[in-house]
Amino acid sequence: MADFDTAPRRSPSDREGQTVSYFRPSQFWPHASWLGLALLCLPGSVCGAPADDVDFAHQIVPILKTHCIKCHSGPQQEGGFSLNDRETLLNGGDSGPAVVLRDVAASELHRRVTSSDPGDRMPPEGAGLTAEQVALVERWIEQGLPWESGFSFAPSSYEPPLRPRRPELPAGDPQRPHPIDRLLDHELGERQQPLPAGISDEVFLRRVTLDLVGRLPTPEQWAEFSSDPSHDKRERWIEQLLDDEVAYAEHWLTFWNDLLRNDYTGTGFITGGRTQITAWLYQALLDNMPFDQFVRELVAPPNAASAGFINGIRWRGEVSAGQTVEIQFAQSIGQTFLGINLKCASCHDSFVDRWKLDEAFSLAAVYSERPLELHRCDKPLGKTAQPGWLFPELGQIDPTADRATRLQQLAGLMTHPENGRLTRTIVNRLWHRLMGRGIVHPVDAMQSPPWNADLLDYLAVDLADHGYDLKRTMQLIVTSQAYQSQVEAVAETATAGEYRYAGPRAKRMTAEQFLDAVWQVTGAGPTTIDAPIQRRLPGGPSQPSSLAAHWIWNQSDATQSAGGETVAFRYRWELPSLPVTSVAAISCDNSYQVYLNGQKIGQGQQWETPDLVSLDGLVVGQNELLIVGRNGGSGPNPAGLFCAVRTIDSAGVVENWGTGSGWEWAAVTEAESSGAATPPAVAGPWQAAALVEHAGIWAPRVEPLAQALLDRGQLGIAAHARASLVKSDFLMRSLGRPNRDQIVTERPQELTTLEAIDLSIGETLDGYLQHGARRLQQQSWESSTDLVRWVFRYGLSREPTAEELAVLTESGDAVPSTQDIADLLWAVIMLPEFQTVR
Amino acid sequence: MFDPTAPEFEQRRQFLRQLTAASVATLGLGAPRLLSAADGQAIEHPVATADSCILLWMGGGMAAPDTFDPKRYVPFRVGTPVAEIESTFPAIDSVVDNIKLTAGLEHVAQVMDRATLIRSHVLPDLGSILHSRHQYHWHTGYVPPQTVACPHIGAWMAKVLGPLNPVMPAFINIGQRLEGVGEQEELKAFTTAGFFGSEYGPLNLPFPEDAARSVRPPEGMEAGRFANRQKLFRRLVDQSPQREYLSDFQYQSQLRSIENAYRLLSAPERAAFDISLEPAESFAKYDTGRFGRGCLLARRLVENGARFVEVTTEYVPFLHWDTHADGHTTLQRMKQEIDQPIAQLILDLESRGLLNRTLVILASEFSRDMIMEGKPGSNANDQTTEPVEALQTMKHYGQHRHFTGASCVVMWGGGVRGGQLYGASADQRPFVAIDKPLSVTDLHATIFTALGISPQTAFEVEQRPFYATEDGKGQAAREIFVQGKS
Repeated sequence: MADFDTAPRRSPSDREGQTVSYFRPSQFWPHASWLGLALLCLPGSVCGAPADDVDFAHQIVPILKTHCIKCHSGPQQEGGFSLNDRETLLNGGDSGPAVVLRDVAASELHRRVTSSDPGDRMPPEGAGLTAEQVALVERWIEQGLPWESGFSFAPSSYEPPLRPRRPELPAGDPQRPHPIDRLLDHELGERQQPLPAGISDEVFLRRVTLDLVGRLPTPEQWAEFSSDPSHDKRERWIEQLLDDEVAYAEHWLTFWNDLLRNDYTGTGFITGGRTQITAWLYQALLDNMPFDQFVRELVAPPNAASAGFINGIRWRGEVSAGQTVEIQFAQSIGQTFLGINLKCASCHDSFVDRWKLDEAFSLAAVYSERPLELHRCDKPLGKTAQPGWLFPELGQIDPTADRATRLQQLAGLMTHPENGRLTRTIVNRLWHRLMGRGIVHPVDAMQSPPWNADLLDYLAVDLADHGYDLKRTMQLIVTSQAYQSQVEAVAETATAGEYRYAGPRAKRMTAEQFLDAVWQVTGAGPTTIDAPIQRRLPGGPSQPSSLAAHWIWNQSDATQSAGGETVAFRYRWELPSLPVTSVAAISCDNSYQVYLNGQKIGQGQQWETPDLVSLDGLVVGQNELLIVGRNGGSGPNPAGLFCAVRTIDSAGVVENWGTGSGWEWAAVTEAESSGAATPPAVAGPWQAAALVEHAGIWAPRVEPLAQALLDRGQLGIAAHARASLVKSDFLMRSLGRPNRDQIVTERPQELTTLEAIDLSIGETLDGYLQHGARRLQQQSWESSTDLVRWVFRYGLSREPTAEELAVLTESGDAVPSTQDIADLLWAVIMLPEFQTVR
Repeated sequence: MFDPTAPEFEQRRQFLRQLTAASVATLGLGAPRLLSAADGQAIEHPVATADSCILLWMGGGMAAPDTFDPKRYVPFRVGTPVAEIESTFPAIDSVVDNIKLTAGLEHVAQVMDRATLIRSHVLPDLGSILHSRHQYHWHTGYVPPQTVACPHIGAWMAKVLGPLNPVMPAFINIGQRLEGVGEQEELKAFTTAGFFGSEYGPLNLPFPEDAARSVRPPEGMEAGRFANRQKLFRRLVDQSPQREYLSDFQYQSQLRSIENAYRLLSAPERAAFDISLEPAESFAKYDTGRFGRGCLLARRLVENGARFVEVTTEYVPFLHWDTHADGHTTLQRMKQEIDQPIAQLILDLESRGLLNRTLVILASEFSRDMIMEGKPGSNANDQTTEPVEALQTMKHYGQHRHFTGASCVVMWGGGVRGGQLYGASADQRPFVAIDKPLSVTDLHATIFTALGISPQTAFEVEQRPFYATEDGKGQAAREIFVQGKS
């Protein structure tokens, strides 16, 4: 019997009217054309085209490719005829015009491909076109020779510039002086395309807050911002966001973890073949480490903390020559910092760009501790790679130097002031994150032409001019009118052809943004983190705040205090507003009880282990903290009290204070001290407390513990974990948080059905919603309208419309049940409006 | 039962068409694109002999000499040199004259006339035997590490073929926990659609008895409330002042996915996930443990139009088939767990008229041997926990080394020739493949071919072609199929 039946079976995507016949890069297919074709192969280009329209990409290109372009494309122009693009085709050749539009009979092209004269027929060799192919060409001519805009058979001569370039800014509209706007307004003007409309304050607020710190603006922030009449409020808000080091770091950690394939758990860790750079990275983000230094510390790590990136993943057992740690090094450095994909060239000379096998191996050899033999497609070539890097025009690596020196040299070349590829690559990534699409796109194909070279070059030079300050670049972008414009409503067909800037594009929230947002609105979410870092205080100062308390007693020399003595200490102060968080760490030699505004809030017996006490019960106005301390023993012995307080207000300002000179003491009699639930009725008199002189007997043991307690207490009470700091779970994976075995530079932009199932019935999200609903139910809302407004202000940064309110308050204005609140929350967070940054 | 010709099916297909169109369109930037064959022509897919595929995964390394490839049986006796032992189970007859199995597989032996038994599946050593790495290789066709996240073969079927029944997820994975087990990160690395994106990824059902919960409203939410919540959502969408942007495909595709999810969650096919609805008599035949119940679930899902279902005995380091010690005793239990359910699955599929269009595959990441680690000449470290020269206790009796020289794969249905042996391993140790060695690449080509997917199918990812079988080189073993033999 015969072989398998291999009748062509159309793929399901074809059945659905999608494209099916795509091309792959090969030696026969010049790379630039490949890229051009890849663009036009986007499915939208043929979606919905009437059936009798000829499909250029899938019906004509294969014919031309098979029969014509060998002699009539690129530098090959047999008979003076080239069909690189539509224009050269129409120009014709030595025999005159090749095509008369819509006139098949008059078209030389048609005559040639159908000619029976062997000296005349095209192609001159082989079987020529089939009858079906001829029919297609006829239809193509009849329909006016439709061609995909921007597509060319010619190999691209485009090679991106390496060195920085300082473009001249067009004069532009004096009302829009921002450099980015001058560049983009000019581009739009050239095309006579309207400027995208501006956005409202609330749209701006939500977009920029999610983009820069990954969080929703709170209803309070929303209200304040909306009512602020000042003209510079957007600039000030941007500054405030960028100054929030912790929120910034904990948001951008996601981007960098993806780009540096760093995670808290994952493959390779099990066998010890991989190390984290989390602590280094977190600190670098908090400090806004200049990007050139950042790159140097990753490429030539000064210590183990940042070494995980170049060391890659060392798998147990044998791996292919294209995946050794040395080759991983070359691939990672190339992709992350230069937007160069060396994955092709790690195995053979690349088909899609100019990189060659020996260049990939040379870069790998910079890292290698052993002589590195070149392998092509996993077969040894008997040739040892010479350490070197990709742009020798900027300098080269000394192949005889030791590894540490080679890495230093590479770091130096990478951050060489003339290496514009580094700065272009990173500003392009930031533009992509903030504006929704790269200036060069995809962002890892930096060999492709930018849609606006001046813009890319301007941003790159600006970064270098400003000390490689990445926040500066972000600020530059988000202060532009371009960023503060309406997002482009992208129709399905708009993906075809050349990209034309028409405003920013909406971005889907990352898994981390989504969860952070859900945790914000519901108050749910974990409080512990998996990232091995010393987490800085949310909204706090950039340095960990220190204690500001002293040891006190009733006399400065308290080494000989009376055994069994009981002393009350008090502090009274005014509060203009309530702090978000207030905690105290207290130690007393030998025991104490503590009361706030008459209510007991804690006690302790072991001075060696201070206690963490939450100052629940503070009021606006006058407050009193009262601590009754008791010295133990029967004979004279040392006594002292230490109470360190930390408060954080709603703006995130941290204040440290505690026992010290403002405190008073009074003796407590035996009778007064009985009954610990309420404070003793101290008769007084009250006198100024004394700072004790011998605090050294307790301080070294107690104060570090007190510091740790406050740090922890403050976090436990004030701050939830950010999703970027916890390891990926089922829900996050489902929402597109990648497995970071590979470098990832784009998250999925689309919600899939399986994800929608998880969001509809998954227990994790349902748990958050129920938690949130219970919490909201307990709060004092005036009406269901009141609650709905709050949910909209938080989740969507806007008021509900009258129609929305009507839908959501249909069952009356009483505050809804927990179930109804949970359903309301679900319906809102499932809205595309919630899940996109727009 | 799922009937692809029913009118409502066409409706669903319409619906799916919209969904997929949107998915592909949105993913345009940086998403994998289907490539053609090298000559620029459309890929010619072979004609499918199967519409569905069930992979029965014997995670941990199933010892061929103690299961499907009996060698000389040497019973347990204190003092017997380990090197003299070949099989620890006696051979048994099957319904096919020349196919012998080992004791404990009596039910499976009765359905071997519907199967081709491959005894020459060979695997690489990879320098060191690490189960999850070999499993990655087996499930994706690519040896890790790779520069891109490779799709599982189930994801290839989901991507290229799409769901068979539009409401039924195309890739369903039964029996493997991905949290709280050893090597969980390594398992997650291949239990994924990789660069295809999660639309093509698995619906994970680690506990078959809980599967119904994966397709019903959250605990405590009755059906009425679930439906009302969905209505509320739709009304909000309709009222949204943002609806002017609804031309934005991101927006539309999100709404479609939510609708699609709701459709599954309210579809009658949902009942397929609930194995408690199975008649008691039938349930009992599968009720040997999680794997057995997984087989039942797989059957119910395939009856309702599932495309690819994997059922695993579950890989947990040092458990189940991962016998570093006490192998014989462990395998008695393993066989008890798999024997009857597998046979029942085949018979049930057959009696429902589904076997001829359902390819059922039993496989494992490698085999095992009493004394040899890896294969002859390999440098792999001996990893047995009971290294002895001669038997002292039952703990020493069993196949405790990882063996990659030949392992067994069984294929039933889906156009497979019944009652056939394919390839052979040596009669004398080392038991390497001596006839028709079949690599993972070619085995995958065989599987893909049965499903109507060209082994040369490629998608462009990061501007490079990525093939269904490594470098597009997989060659189907055609004689495994009825139509393939001359």
